Amino acid sequence: MIKLALTGNPNTGKTSLFNMLTDSYEYVGNWAGVTIEKKVGMLNNKRGQLIDLPGIYSLSPLSRDEGVTTLYLLDETPSMLLNVVDASQLERNLHLTIQLLEYGRPVVLALNMIDVAKKRGLNIDVEQLAKQIGIPIVPVIARTGYGCDALLETSIQSSGDSGIAASPRRFDYGPVLEGAISRLEAMLPKELTSARWLALQLLEGNIPVLQKLRQYVDPVQLQACYVETEKLVQETGGIRLADYIRDRRAAIIQGWLQQSVRETKEQHTTLSERIDAIVMNKFLGIPVFLAFMYLTFKLTFDWFGTPLSDALDSLLNGFVRDNVSSFLDSAGAAAFIKAVLLDGVISGVGGVLVFVPQIFMLFLIISFIEDSGYMARIATVMDKLLEGVGLNGKAFIPMIIGFGCNVPGIMAARTIEQPKERLLTILLTPLMSCSARLSVYSLFVGTFFEKNQALIVLSLYVLGVVVALALAKLFSFTLAKEEESMFIVEMPPYRIPQWRTLSRSTWEKGKGFVRKAGTFIFGGSVVIWMLGYSGFSGWNVPMNESFLQTIGSVISPIMQPLGFGNWQAGAALITGFLAKEVVVSTMGIIYAAPTDAGLEGAITQFFTPLQAYSFMVFILLYVPCLATVGVIRSETKSAKWTWFSVIYALIVAYIIAFIIYRAGLLLGFH
Amino acid sequence: MMTLLETTAGSNVKVTNLDSVHALVRRRLGDLGVMVGSVISLRKTMPFGGPCTIEIKGQWIAIRRKDAGSILVEGV
Repeated sequence: MIKLALTGNPNTGKTSLFNMLTDSYEYVGNWAGVTIEKKVGMLNNKRGQLIDLPGIYSLSPLSRDEGVTTLYLLDETPSMLLNVVDASQLERNLHLTIQLLEYGRPVVLALNMIDVAKKRGLNIDVEQLAKQIGIPIVPVIARTGYGCDALLETSIQSSGDSGIAASPRRFDYGPVLEGAISRLEAMLPKELTSARWLALQLLEGNIPVLQKLRQYVDPVQLQACYVETEKLVQETGGIRLADYIRDRRAAIIQGWLQQSVRETKEQHTTLSERIDAIVMNKFLGIPVFLAFMYLTFKLTFDWFGTPLSDALDSLLNGFVRDNVSSFLDSAGAAAFIKAVLLDGVISGVGGVLVFVPQIFMLFLIISFIEDSGYMARIATVMDKLLEGVGLNGKAFIPMIIGFGCNVPGIMAARTIEQPKERLLTILLTPLMSCSARLSVYSLFVGTFFEKNQALIVLSLYVLGVVVALALAKLFSFTLAKEEESMFIVEMPPYRIPQWRTLSRSTWEKGKGFVRKAGTFIFGGSVVIWMLGYSGFSGWNVPMNESFLQTIGSVISPIMQPLGFGNWQAGAALITGFLAKEVVVSTMGIIYAAPTDAGLEGAITQFFTPLQAYSFMVFILLYVPCLATVGVIRSETKSAKWTWFSVIYALIVAYIIAFIIYRAGLLLGFH
Repeated sequence: MMTLLETTAGSNVKVTNLDSVHALVRRRLGDLGVMVGSVISLRKTMPFGGPCTIEIKGQWIAIRRKDAGSILVEGV
């Protein structure tokens, strides 16, 4: 099986290319760090596999996601390396190309965004450049698919190469380094291929390479060789070893580019600069971001999502329910079956499904932020605020993704370089109000706060962020505090998201929600319905004597001070740990039984507006859902932190809901 | 000798020294092509002492102000 590995700087379009060349789909965005783990796809022509790797500037990793690429190259042998470079930033992209050439597998260069480079006035003589570097180069535009067939053809061809193309390239690093490389090579066991590459990477300070070589060579010797070389370079050139290596490579690249790239016109103000003049303006930056968020909720609720969702609701509870009901009657189904389907499945699953329009709207907007290039700007605008609480602006990216779903949000924290900041981000991302929680809010604001839906929901999102920031401050004081915070982010040029990419990425995010409704929530609804249908006295008991009531009653006294001490709320909270939208399913099932006034009519009998708000606050903050707890465990690799994330959330949720409810009562709300 | 922060926004300057920049930031800057000898310019500064953006060869990077203040530059 041929294995092609996609490598390149962050945000050069590797994943776009991956989607073009394979039959699978992975999610893309316009910011550095979208891909955080390796993805494997089957090539369109079925002749091999394409491996999408996280973007890297150099093979020495700084963050967790970058380490994935280095480890892949260390542990596996791809048939060839498909190096994607951004044609408009050739110079810095080629630093990685040199390291890949030294690795010793055939390399093919995909010269991506050739259209952007042309617009910038860069005239690249592709043939000449290919001759200079000595590898095949294919100009492509990954977003449109231009050149992709030729690229695939060339890559397959070169993967069969042996001989020169498949052996490590030697670049001259000057006498001092060459001496050190030879000594290191001599220390390494013969069975290691690409010993020169390993030696060079070691001298550059590549930690994963150091760890690997320690298995073969005495670490003291390696260390001694490194220190000695570093000292020699410092004495002769007056610069650090890593900088020296970089300078040597820069000189090689200069040589290549001199012959093949011409700038045909002067740089002038770009569209990105003009947009940044507004969204990153000294005074407007933060207001623009908040206005954008407000617009998001207006779109999701008032203008678009809710009307659609109401239509869907009347369709499900009218047309679908009636038809299923009359079908079951005509088929002579047992009363039990009829009750399971109508009161369990349609109430439970349907209650969640009606929020699909809102959730897709939200995902569409998140996809837009990711694809347009606004993400890096938000990180920059937010950096000062986050620095104040011991995080950096990049931590805001997982949080925004967390608004969609906490699970990918927590995984996105991998791009944060400092381990402490990463841990804090992982622990706090669950406080970001995800789309599943949105279904709970939708239910309650539609019932109690019809006039101010967007505002009330926005207040919950803001509350989540504020609590996260306050806790970040608290945790960064008490947890590890020795590490120094850092922030640096690349700002990609804006681009207008393509409708195809947007719809695809919205669907990829949203389909998880629909699938969950069809499987997990379907099953959960049946179980919850059974718990509500049965009790100590047997089957078909009144809801008030059911097992569900027994379970809910266990915790309802504890919730009494928060304003929602009824057993129904208690039962919904317990089942809500599985997935937060199960809260809605549970309520749908519980309240479907006694009244015909619909779910919204039913909950007005059990909650006052203030109690409903307190309940929403509690839902926002209390324990992360089951899937999120799982991903916290796998990302932190620590049971201690996983428990911590669950317990602190419960405590914080209780305290804050208590304060809000009690303060609300004092202020005369009810 | 002056720091990047002391330059007028938009004017091109040459990097002369990066030694006192946070080590990880310095490395990342190097990855993005900012080294001794590179021509860069300061572009925008965020309010309340927030980060600032710099430009190098048509590419924009945001860094914290204190890091920008430790980049030594000279006029070109």
